[in-house]
Amino acid sequence: MTRNQMHSIFLSAFVFLAALIATRPAAAQDPKQPYPTMAPVEQYLMERDAEIALARSAAPDAISRDASVIVLTRHGYETAVQGKNGWVCWVGRGWMAMFDHPEFWNPKVRAADCLNPPAARSLLPYAYKRTELLLAGQSKPEVIAAIRSAIEKKELPALKPGSVCYMMSKGSYLTDNGGHNAPHLMFYETAKDDAAWGANLTNSPVLSVNYWYLSAEAYPQLKSFPPLSVFLVAVDKWSDGTPAPPM
Amino acid sequence: MTRSQIRVTLLGGFALAAALIASRPVAAQDAKQPYPNMAPIEQYLMDRDAEIALARSAAPDSISRDAEVLVLGRHGFETAVKGKNGFVCIVERSWTSAPDPDFWNPKVRTPICYNAPAAHSILLRNIKRTGLILAERTKAQVDEAIVAAGDKKELPSPESGAMCFMTSKQGYGGDSVEHWPSHLMFYYTQIDPAIWGAGLPGSPILAMSDTQELVTTFVIAVQRWSDGTDAR
Repeated sequence: MTRNQMHSIFLSAFVFLAALIATRPAAAQDPKQPYPTMAPVEQYLMERDAEIALARSAAPDAISRDASVIVLTRHGYETAVQGKNGWVCWVGRGWMAMFDHPEFWNPKVRAADCLNPPAARSLLPYAYKRTELLLAGQSKPEVIAAIRSAIEKKELPALKPGSVCYMMSKGSYLTDNGGHNAPHLMFYETAKDDAAWGANLTNSPVLSVNYWYLSAEAYPQLKSFPPLSVFLVAVDKWSDGTPAPPM
Repeated sequence: MTRSQIRVTLLGGFALAAALIASRPVAAQDAKQPYPNMAPIEQYLMDRDAEIALARSAAPDSISRDAEVLVLGRHGFETAVKGKNGFVCIVERSWTSAPDPDFWNPKVRTPICYNAPAAHSILLRNIKRTGLILAERTKAQVDEAIVAAGDKKELPSPESGAMCFMTSKQGYGGDSVEHWPSHLMFYYTQIDPAIWGAGLPGSPILAMSDTQELVTTFVIAVQRWSDGTDAR
């Protein structure tokens, strides 16, 4: 897998990459929107046990076996398994990508993810809200406005330090691009620019993306959202310990 | 656990050799001390240009070419190149980067590039430690001085986002493990390593808490060296 393919996967899996953006039309400018609208909700749903298993496969068993697991229903995520180590595993859908991401409505996306306790406490409330509103039929601008209002009223939490997630499932489908998947870790930081971790530079093993958007021009309201950067580091094994393709 | 023992543990983690570590005597118990004392200072010094190049190799050129570079002098580290991106690259010597048996090994050369938050906190500790070592303080005195400086806030706790690159293909880690795998390190004021799932079976993250200096270090191996070649 080439580095560009890796970037493409990250771009499509909740994230983006500046270098790729520079060579690839951004979503808002792309005349080809492969998934312009939401598909029938059934296409986003999974069989419950399969979803639990996929969610858990995001992290090594030593972590995920004691984690809570949430699954998607017609109206939002609900707890399927109550855990005991503070971690929460789930399967993200396309709409957890940036609001202007071209695969936002891709019904094939299944992004298995295990959030550590700080990430679960601070990021999942955003995922719950976004998902519930979208499944209720609200438009993206309406959802953005609702999230903004909730942030202002402090109904949604600030990011907690040390927020990390594992995305090491061999069974994820992150994007239509490349190999569709790659094992990686993600680190969440506030008010950090790419340069802070040397991200997105030639040969750097660190990539970074904005949590909210690819280009703030598509939804200017997002510019006023609290800064939230996602730093990504690829790892060389899947959660089951088998080697992943080189990146 | 001493600072050097921490390094041993991390090395062991990389090598998946926890069992080896458990069965391997640490320095204090080892009858054979290949490097029982400090060697003549000259043996730790390098040609200035070579040291600058080696220090820069710790991170991809896209990062290190604009980094500040420190080189070792007879009394400590000194600035050789002014930087402009906040990163600081350095070749650490045995007393800050090698396991106990190699504590005085004059061959050890460990290139590291610290990002700005780490340079403002973690690097200062290693600079101070080096200065004390070169002033011929004992290991115990050095540890004591570092802890005291931390207590007095003369040495700051890790800043938010502190991390470093250790992705050089070059360098020498010590006689027990000659070369470190390509990796990144992330620094936090002491937190529970379990919060990142570190050290659990199958986890790609290792961690070690230094209970004296109150710093937790997370280590993640990466797939490429700083020059972009495959490190797996």
